[in-house]
Amino acid sequence: MRDKRTNLETELRANRPEPSRELVHRLEGRVREGRRSRAGSFRVAFAGALAVGVLAALASVGGLGYAATATDSAVDKAKQAVRSHGVLVVHKSPSRDQYGNPKAKKATKAKKKAKGRRFARPPFTG
Amino acid sequence: MLRIDPLRNPEPLIRRVYGYVAYRIGDGPDAEDITSETFERALRYKKSFDPQKGEPLAWLIGIARRLIEGRPVTLELAIEVPDRADAGDLQDDTLRRLALSSAVSHLEPRDRDLIALRYGADLTARQIAEELNLRTNAVEVALHRALGRLRATIGEQGDPPVRKEGTAR
Repeated sequence: MRDKRTNLETELRANRPEPSRELVHRLEGRVREGRRSRAGSFRVAFAGALAVGVLAALASVGGLGYAATATDSAVDKAKQAVRSHGVLVVHKSPSRDQYGNPKAKKATKAKKKAKGRRFARPPFTG
Repeated sequence: MLRIDPLRNPEPLIRRVYGYVAYRIGDGPDAEDITSETFERALRYKKSFDPQKGEPLAWLIGIARRLIEGRPVTLELAIEVPDRADAGDLQDDTLRRLALSSAVSHLEPRDRDLIALRYGADLTARQIAEELNLRTNAVEVALHRALGRLRATIGEQGDPPVRKEGTAR
């Protein structure tokens, strides 16, 4: 009786239905993929935590205030410079020589177009 | 605290979950679907795994059991065992596997569950007891009876062919 039972148990284990190789590969890949995305989110969280840590360290020694003051003074300096000297517009420059006044250029183009309409391209003489 | 990944070594887990599901609902695409869904859920709720409550396999089998119990009831066809006259055309292993699967599919759901947990998922009587909220000795007795009924079913169907020497794994 005991032997019979053991035989049946052995048979049940030995003949256990097996998954197809494709299913095993697919599920293994899915598990690996899930693990990778988890690692990715861990990296993002780590970078965020590091940034917050650096900011907190800077704030604790007044670094943030120092940076804000420096930015403010730079903006003030720029404003003063613009106010006192004004914006310098150069009327004669090599670029003006080359490209001319954009408005004047537009007018010339319009004139040329009108001329072209009256006298079409000269006939082809060979 | 360092979290343990329950799916660190997935291959043996896939095989045992599939073994359990196939003994419960039959080998084939339905069993593959349930196994896939089990692992999808395991990935989704990986954080809920508590190593103090049990091993990863027991946790996965718990998910698979709930999926099987929650699936819509469909007409389950009993597995047909080919006539013994055709046995020469088939490998002994295949015939034997079919005979066993057929016998298991004729058992009562509770017996089938026990057989699937013990021989499909390879859980110990203690692990099964934890899963079913029973005492270990109650599980052992229930298993013994389930095996008896399985043997009777196999007897009714006719003994599966004896495995030849050398084909044993």
